[in-house]
Amino acid sequence: MTQPETPKSTPEEPWPVRVVSQKIGSWVSKLGWVWVDGQVAQISRRPGASTVFLTLRDPSADLSLTVTTNRDVLDIGAPELNEGARVVLHAKPEFYAARGTLSLRADEIRQVGLGELLARLEKLKKLLAAEGLFARERKRRPPFLPSRIGLITGRSSAAERDVLTNARRRWPAVEFRVVNVAVQGPTAVPQMIDALKVLDGDETIDVIIIARGGGSVEDLLPFSDEALCRAVFDCRTPVVSAIGHETDIPLLDYVADVRASTPTDAAKRIVPDLAEETRLIGLARQRLGRAVTGLLDREQHRLDAVRSRPVLARPHVMIEQRATEVGALRDRAARSLDHKLAAAAGDLRHTLARLRALSPAATLERGYAIVQRADGQVVRAPSDVAKGDELRVRLAEGDLSAAVTDSPG
Amino acid sequence: MSEPQLSYEQARAELASVVERLEAGGGTLEDSLALWERGEQLADICQRWLDGARARLEAARAAREES
Repeated sequence: MTQPETPKSTPEEPWPVRVVSQKIGSWVSKLGWVWVDGQVAQISRRPGASTVFLTLRDPSADLSLTVTTNRDVLDIGAPELNEGARVVLHAKPEFYAARGTLSLRADEIRQVGLGELLARLEKLKKLLAAEGLFARERKRRPPFLPSRIGLITGRSSAAERDVLTNARRRWPAVEFRVVNVAVQGPTAVPQMIDALKVLDGDETIDVIIIARGGGSVEDLLPFSDEALCRAVFDCRTPVVSAIGHETDIPLLDYVADVRASTPTDAAKRIVPDLAEETRLIGLARQRLGRAVTGLLDREQHRLDAVRSRPVLARPHVMIEQRATEVGALRDRAARSLDHKLAAAAGDLRHTLARLRALSPAATLERGYAIVQRADGQVVRAPSDVAKGDELRVRLAEGDLSAAVTDSPG
Repeated sequence: MSEPQLSYEQARAELASVVERLEAGGGTLEDSLALWERGEQLADICQRWLDGARARLEAARAAREES
């Protein structure tokens, strides 16, 4: 039956509530039957009543819907359904005009088993990996010494205590900003995403740790939630995942910038150990000092060695050496001089003797005389001279001068 | 003595060559004397560099002990 086309509502001719709610009803039913995935937050089963009311929450977002169903549908599809269970139901939206409330009318409910959940998780993992959310090069290194650490964890949980005490023991001056959230159940993911936004927006925080102690696979499911993984991936601040025990590896571990095996391990990785660092610095300083003094000592030794070389240490050696050389030369010179002198003296004597032997002196001694012309020519024959020539007569003890008186023939 | 413009390495290298030439001998007396004087001067420069370095080291260490 088609609805009679009523004229447009105007301030002058408004539609009564019954018309509006009737229209809403028809609009709502246009959605038709849908399969819905969600987490059961509440079940209200009143004894004797055939209808059961459920509150169904979205696993990632802070949204929920009320579901009405028949008790048998529930008993058949999801016996002993309890809160927190993950379900898939086939339902149609219904607008309950009397009170203007909307709810889903379910005609089939299935409980999602753990196996199914894990299978979905694997599929999600491949999807996120394909999208590059796990890419190693996208991972950022937290600072060596964070000035302020954001911590998302359960209120006064063991995880919170482990992170805080270990971090403070290692570096007493470390500062934390803790945001306590539900760490399991349907409200966990939305709260964690909000906490992430708050801490990521806080400029003073340079690393965020998401920490949770051990728990069952179901307990840890929120840490493999797609929305949470995407929120962590989009964070500007490096995120450290410290979930459960060593063996637990939720998807968050793949997306986070650093994966710590446990909350304590997170503290150890993120906060340097003051005592250890001071010791290392002390060590480095010692080695620094030793290296420089070692160098100085070595160079000093080399310089001392060079300075002790004879040519530098005892320069007078150089002079003495030359002095002795000069002395030696002088001696040689003197000796060779003596030789020469002696030889010369010998020669002289010898020549003298010969001179003497050849010299007329001896003959003159014996009374002879040498007659020379004026020109020095020795007169050997009267013809050498002429009458009146000036003559020089050399006697043993002196000379005379004479003249030719007569020159025979 | 003017501030040694030579670096430590330069002074030491020249010193080594001066000693070598002196030990090789053969130079004139005048040259040998001049070489010897240069050698002494270079050795002093090196010593000053080493003493300076040691002083800076001690000063740094002392300063740290006080702080």
